[in-house]
Amino acid sequence: MRFRGVASWAISLFRRYLQVRAVFSTVVITGIALTIVGGFLSYSIGGGLFSTRQAQVLAESERAVVEVQNTFAASSVSNEVALQTLMNTIVPSIESTGTTNSRRVALIRSPGQATGQVLQSPISADLDTKVIPANLRVKVRASAGKLLYQSISLPVAGNEHPGIVVGAPIQIPLAGNYEFYLVFDLNSEQQTLDFVQRTLFFGGLILLFMIGAISFFVTDWLVRPVRLAAEVSEQLSEGALDRRLPERGEDIIAILARSFNKMAQSLQSQITQLASLSKMQQRFVSDVSHELRTPLTTIKLAGDMIFAGRDTLSPPVKRSAELMHDQIERFEALLNDLLEISRYDAGAVIADLEMQDLNGVVGMAIAGIEPLAMSKGSEILIEIPQGPVDAEMDSRRIERLLRNLLANAIEHGEGKPIRVAVGVSESAVAVTVTDEGVGMTRAEVDRVFDRFWRADPARKRTTGGTGLGLAISLEDTHLHDGWLQVWAKPNEGASFRLTLPRRKGMIFTQSPLPLPPKKSKKRSDA
Amino acid sequence: MSHKILVVDDDNALREMVGIVLESEGFEVAFHDAGSGALDKFNAEVPDLVLLDVMLPGKTGIEVCREIRAVSGTPIIMLTAKTESDDVVLGLEAGADDYVVKPFDPGVLTARIRARLRPLAGSSAEGTVKIGPLTLDIEGHEVRRGSEKISLTPLEFSLLLALAQKPNLVFSRAMLLEKVWGYRHNDDTRLVNVHVQRLRSKIEDDPDNPKIVTTVRGVGYKAGQG
Ligand SMILES: Nc1ncnc2c1ncn2[C@@H]1O[C@H](COP(=O)(O)OP(=O)(O)O)[C@@H](O)[C@H]1O
Ligand SMILES: [Mg+2]
Repeated sequence: MRFRGVASWAISLFRRYLQVRAVFSTVVITGIALTIVGGFLSYSIGGGLFSTRQAQVLAESERAVVEVQNTFAASSVSNEVALQTLMNTIVPSIESTGTTNSRRVALIRSPGQATGQVLQSPISADLDTKVIPANLRVKVRASAGKLLYQSISLPVAGNEHPGIVVGAPIQIPLAGNYEFYLVFDLNSEQQTLDFVQRTLFFGGLILLFMIGAISFFVTDWLVRPVRLAAEVSEQLSEGALDRRLPERGEDIIAILARSFNKMAQSLQSQITQLASLSKMQQRFVSDVSHELRTPLTTIKLAGDMIFAGRDTLSPPVKRSAELMHDQIERFEALLNDLLEISRYDAGAVIADLEMQDLNGVVGMAIAGIEPLAMSKGSEILIEIPQGPVDAEMDSRRIERLLRNLLANAIEHGEGKPIRVAVGVSESAVAVTVTDEGVGMTRAEVDRVFDRFWRADPARKRTTGGTGLGLAISLEDTHLHDGWLQVWAKPNEGASFRLTLPRRKGMIFTQSPLPLPPKKSKKRSDA
Repeated sequence: MSHKILVVDDDNALREMVGIVLESEGFEVAFHDAGSGALDKFNAEVPDLVLLDVMLPGKTGIEVCREIRAVSGTPIIMLTAKTESDDVVLGLEAGADDYVVKPFDPGVLTARIRARLRPLAGSSAEGTVKIGPLTLDIEGHEVRRGSEKISLTPLEFSLLLALAQKPNLVFSRAMLLEKVWGYRHNDDTRLVNVHVQRLRSKIEDDPDNPKIVTTVRGVGYKAGQG
């Protein structure tokens, strides 16, 4: 449990930091290399130590064997007591004692000789003859005077020391065939080797640590400018356009900093230029709209005056007065829509959010459009849930949006009934406005939110829409972080669905109402 | 008796056209074409109502509005080309009773003018109404705190009277718009809010902590505490 926590922390650290990765790989690779080098060193040092000692051992043994043989050859002992005495002098003269570098000696009578002997085999006091392997003894007996040796493990004071046994056969007059053994303790070589290995190990460890530290500092030194660049670009993307990197020196990092700064500079100047352009553009549209308002007021007052008195005019003048009256209204609507969309373009629109009953807002929109619906003979059928449907919205904008959807449905609905449905879920509210009129083709649906776009310019228009209605509706929807979607089929009708989050910032993945809407038989009058 | 209306606007055509509309509706009309001198014209003509353009050469309509308010409670309706809050709120804060946005209908204009000229709401009653430390004399259109007279515009007076006649009844903004301004189906909350603010600055001891006209959050206003 705990281990897993640590492991996942380490993995996340590893994933997140380039530097951690670099240091980690350096340490691992260096570790592997040091192990190989250290292994090789300790192997060859061990081998060297051993073979030197072995050569020395063999030379010593040879001398000892010659000395022993000479001792017996030169002697002129005639009785067994004298021989025993001579034999007993051999061990002390050749052996050297101590816990390290010791040399033990054994002169053992070969087995299987006819004459019974009472002579004792002289053996170093602390030598156990069991350490002399039996197979070596067999080979020594058959060696015809040659020196033979074997590596053994030597028990000394409870520890095992590495050792070498060297053996040779010896003829003793009056006594028969003997085997002469020298047992060497190689413990001091082993200790030297142990010491060398320990030194190599700790030295390697220190080296590894130092390389880790060095690679940490070096990568830190290299990564720091990159990290700084990352930080600064983060700040740039968050809008702090005047942030720059420090430019020092002539190296690759300085080149990076310089080109980064150059990029940031051109980005900044372009953004400020664009911003001031769009501000100018927005001011212009807004100024134009405002400047147009005063003359338009005069025209409108005059037009109304003439319109009010149209019955006293001759038929062509009267018709002109009527046309002018309608077109002035259209002009005004266009001006208002233009101003509204320019406000959106300038990002100057702030939602005036308040908790509202969507049913109420729908009701207001329907009440506002009722006269138009009556004049076109379209019945408006509504299907709303019981009780209030509360959601946070700018009710003035949502009511305007719904009025536009209703006006479109009436205008393109060919006098057939128009259905309005309200739906609600945990996180969202929705309204659909569905007509059974001319509908639209796929290509038309794709363009329906475009500014000034109309399906068929030749289509008879009665309400004098501006072509900006749905473009503004979509902006209003985006202002609420909502969805505005269309379904349409030629000659079957169209359905627009508005979905809004119940509270600002609420996430929804599904609208409470289906699109296209289910065909409902149930009818409730408006 | 016909009412006299002073139209202050720098656009000649519009001024003349407004004059034609108003005269055809039976009003008597006087004109002025700039901000400077508007107050003198006002003093000379003594109109029953002023139509005041916001953007005027010399002095802005807002300054003119403040000057007139300093000497008289005559109803003022601002003519504004902007619907953005700033202009409207500034005009109302300077003391305008109402505003119309260009381009306006002749019908809307005359309806707004008539609403401002008709006898005050509730003023058919007689006698006095008391609210907190204030005494309202309905016939005399006067408000007194003790013996001190507070000068309110006719609109402010009728706003206070409407609230005071039904103490502790909560009025929504739409109700006040209908009762005081004479509008139906209007949800222009700014109009109400700014006037309540102006009224409080005249009658309350501490306008930021009102005791006489209190806010009922999310609903509207009422007279009295609690
Ligand atoms: N319910 C509908 N049925 C068929 N076509 C529609 C419908 N609603 C919108 N449209 C098409 O989308 C166009 C753009 O609509 P809109 O942006 O509201 O502008 P306008 O209504 O002023 O023409 C309309 O002209 C029409 O061609
Ligand atoms: Mg439309």
